Amino acid sequence: MADITLRVNGATRTGSPEARKTLADFLRDDLNLTGTHLGCEHGVCGACTVIVDGRAVRSCLMLAVQAAGSEVTTVEGLAPDGEHGELGPLQQAMWDSHSFQCGFCTPGFVMQATAFLSDHPDAGEQQIREALSGNICRCTGYQSIIDGVLLAAQRNRTLRNRTPRNRETLSEERR
Amino acid sequence: MTAIAAERYTGASIKRSEDPRILTGAGRYVDDIKLPGMLHAAFVRSPMAHARVLSVDVSAARALPGVVAVLTGAELEAITVPGPDALMALVGWAGPTPEFTLLATDKVRLVGDPVAVVVAESRYLAEDGCELVEVEYDDLPPVVDAAFALDPGSPPLFANLGDNIARLHSRHEFGDVSATFARADRVTDLHIDVHRHQNVPMEGRGCVASYDPDSGVMTMHASTQSVHLTKIAVAMRLGMEQDKVRVLAGDIGGSFGLKIGASREELAVAAASRQIGRPVKWVEDRGENLTASGQAREESFDVRAAVSSDGDLLGLDVKMVVDTGSYPGTGAMVPDLMEAMLPGPYKLAAMGFESIGAITNKATYVAYRGPWASETFVRERVLDLIAKDLGLDPVEIRQRNVALRTDPPAVMITGRPLVGVTAKESLERVAQLVDFPAFRRRQAQARAQGRYLGIGVATFIEAAPGPRSPEGPSGPMGLESMRLRLTEDGIVVLFTGQMPHGQSHQTTLAQIAADEFGVPFEQVRVVVGDSAVVPFGLTGGSRSATMTGGVALHGARQLKAKVLDFAADLMEVSAQDLLITDGNVWVRGDPASAISVTEVAQRAASGPSGDGAAELEVEATYDGGEGGWSGGTHCAIVDVDAETGIVKVERYVAVEDCGALINPAVVEGQIRGGVAQGIGAVLLERSAYGEDGTFQSATFMDYLMPTACDVPRIEIEHLETVPLDADVNFRGVGEGGMIVAPPTVVNAIEDALSPFGVRIYEQHLPPARILELIAEADPGGERR
Repeated sequence: MADITLRVNGATRTGSPEARKTLADFLRDDLNLTGTHLGCEHGVCGACTVIVDGRAVRSCLMLAVQAAGSEVTTVEGLAPDGEHGELGPLQQAMWDSHSFQCGFCTPGFVMQATAFLSDHPDAGEQQIREALSGNICRCTGYQSIIDGVLLAAQRNRTLRNRTPRNRETLSEERR
Repeated sequence: MTAIAAERYTGASIKRSEDPRILTGAGRYVDDIKLPGMLHAAFVRSPMAHARVLSVDVSAARALPGVVAVLTGAELEAITVPGPDALMALVGWAGPTPEFTLLATDKVRLVGDPVAVVVAESRYLAEDGCELVEVEYDDLPPVVDAAFALDPGSPPLFANLGDNIARLHSRHEFGDVSATFARADRVTDLHIDVHRHQNVPMEGRGCVASYDPDSGVMTMHASTQSVHLTKIAVAMRLGMEQDKVRVLAGDIGGSFGLKIGASREELAVAAASRQIGRPVKWVEDRGENLTASGQAREESFDVRAAVSSDGDLLGLDVKMVVDTGSYPGTGAMVPDLMEAMLPGPYKLAAMGFESIGAITNKATYVAYRGPWASETFVRERVLDLIAKDLGLDPVEIRQRNVALRTDPPAVMITGRPLVGVTAKESLERVAQLVDFPAFRRRQAQARAQGRYLGIGVATFIEAAPGPRSPEGPSGPMGLESMRLRLTEDGIVVLFTGQMPHGQSHQTTLAQIAADEFGVPFEQVRVVVGDSAVVPFGLTGGSRSATMTGGVALHGARQLKAKVLDFAADLMEVSAQDLLITDGNVWVRGDPASAISVTEVAQRAASGPSGDGAAELEVEATYDGGEGGWSGGTHCAIVDVDAETGIVKVERYVAVEDCGALINPAVVEGQIRGGVAQGIGAVLLERSAYGEDGTFQSATFMDYLMPTACDVPRIEIEHLETVPLDADVNFRGVGEGGMIVAPPTVVNAIEDALSPFGVRIYEQHLPPARILELIAEADPGGERR
């Protein structure tokens, strides 16, 4: 057992996991954050992906003690303004795109795509496919997931382009 | 007005009500269940394919702090009721029934066979305990392939059978087989193999069994396709009254046929919970899932095809061997389905079909999305091979052989009428969407540059639900039941025995009921996953679109009639003059008369005239109406790298007819998911065994799953040609993609490799095998 402190979804959390306990099991069992799913426990399927210090990480391949002092974001931490059950923009785009079916792989895809889009906001379809090729979905054939990520990226670009100046221009045009 | 409401929901890609919870991590899968005092189970599994168990020493494991119990196979037999596999018992299987124990007792029969279960305070400790269990084995010769299993000299896996035959040999003939073959211009003989691969849902099997010693009630949280089948299996094995077993299920992370009833391990966990008197959780890890959950599809076929010189497929004569693995169940039953479906939409004059099932030291054969799919693979492969022999185009030979839509409909040589089948239309539509002449030009240009492109098509039909049989009292899939209730809050609640695991029933059934009843979509709730409150049912066999969609429609109609009767008294008008739209009940022609459905429900609950509450509830059943077929034609264009053997699927077009669409986005998700599994089956996936029966694909590094880079965009076109029923023309679409994609892709690969003279008689074509096929067909490399 080792006492650790880390930040999870913006809150400081402490725990005393066994040294061998994975971050995934710590999140699920000790912190009750069951949104993170375990699909293979050997680092291939990506269902357990969480964001640790800004990077997408397979929480089945990381020990909880290794996350001491880190900032961890799980799927439960994506709700805007911390409103439980609220959808973030990527989640909304995935809902609009009918991205998923059984939902088991979903948290991993959401977290992987969140990390990827924050670094590559202008990514195209092929880049997104490659970025998500380390996550396995058995239900969808991936197209709807890719479409969801593309839609989120496009909406984000539209928002970014609406700088205050652009907005004025737009409203002038409307007049 | 109902018609206007229908335009709002049914037929539209309504966003799924399941999604907000799964997108935010608020789904509740079985591994998310935590109960007070809950223990965790892990299984000791056999490293040997076939061996006698000489001893099992659990003393060190029992002594480990944190381990609460260790149960061996013999101990579990002592606390449960012996008998065959529940599924075989339920279907009344009359063939050979091997001994069936929850854990291995006297011998192990596959790598991964469970030998003991360790129950501890945590999964970590349970696995520590497994390490301390000492099992002494005495090797037996492994029976790794069906040919050896059928050899009378092979050592029988089950003493009570005396041989390794799971399904006795049978032969049936339809039409005049010998005369048809005698008059054929040519008879082609060939052998086709389909390899072993498997379901691999992202969530494996699992359960939390919680026995309450005081009440004697077993509550089982399960990952299942049917809470009732799981309940029945648990009750049978534990010797309990069915009423004392309650099965609950929340979100389920996929199944594809794997999670029907209860597996040996789940029954062992239930027995352990009763023995210990505390809740026990078991969730299999990926290694267990790949090794021991079950596998599908290892079948081989000796095929004779009788053909005219013009390209008419006159007859087929097929000998099938299915490798049922150990502990046979579904594998013994599936040949009957293949026999019935083998003619597909084609006008064969005669067919012979014989089959036998072999027991081997591999994981048990289980149902996997379109369990009979290999019949389509065989038929569609045979058609392409014949076309090559005769110099015909693949679309042309199919156009020539498909039955046309006639009145009365053509009848499959195996007996069922091809009513409403649009195979020919789907072929025509594919030919329009994919410009074949243009592709052939591009193919020729690419070949000149050393690139090998190929095109393939395949056509299928699926009995989802299948046509109504003229003499039968009910429809093709028996009855589907549903309870519907208008609650005091004004919510229309549907209680269904469907157990969705990705199929979106909570959305699609609500769409249908909302339209039929006349309330907003949000005012309908679909309740699943509690054997104490939902009627019997099973999600599987592409059943739910027609059967459950149908009972939702008719049930909502019945509930609406009941509500209107009550409202008519309340509003002092005739029920015939009342309408329900947008959640309001009103008198035709008098919008001002409207009162909300919620208010009607509240008035009913409080009792109309002091004589008690009116029950606004109905029990509905539906027999499938006129039924009908799903089906279609798929087309793939592939690019095969002759240097590396890598196949890229460049384009994929699916033309499907599943009747009226309830939710197009859901339908297309089903099609794409099935196609992805079919592409995986051909290019990547194989459940591989060594000659000694060792299992060689127990991780995702060895069992390769298709990724976002392996599956192309899939273009889908819907034919909605033939309404057969007055109301319910939704047909199932869950399995078709997985049924028809493998022959579509293999046909395309063979076309790509035609410059080498490659002929393909198998389904699994990873890069190494592509290179072998080229080398075998073109040993000197002259054609490269």
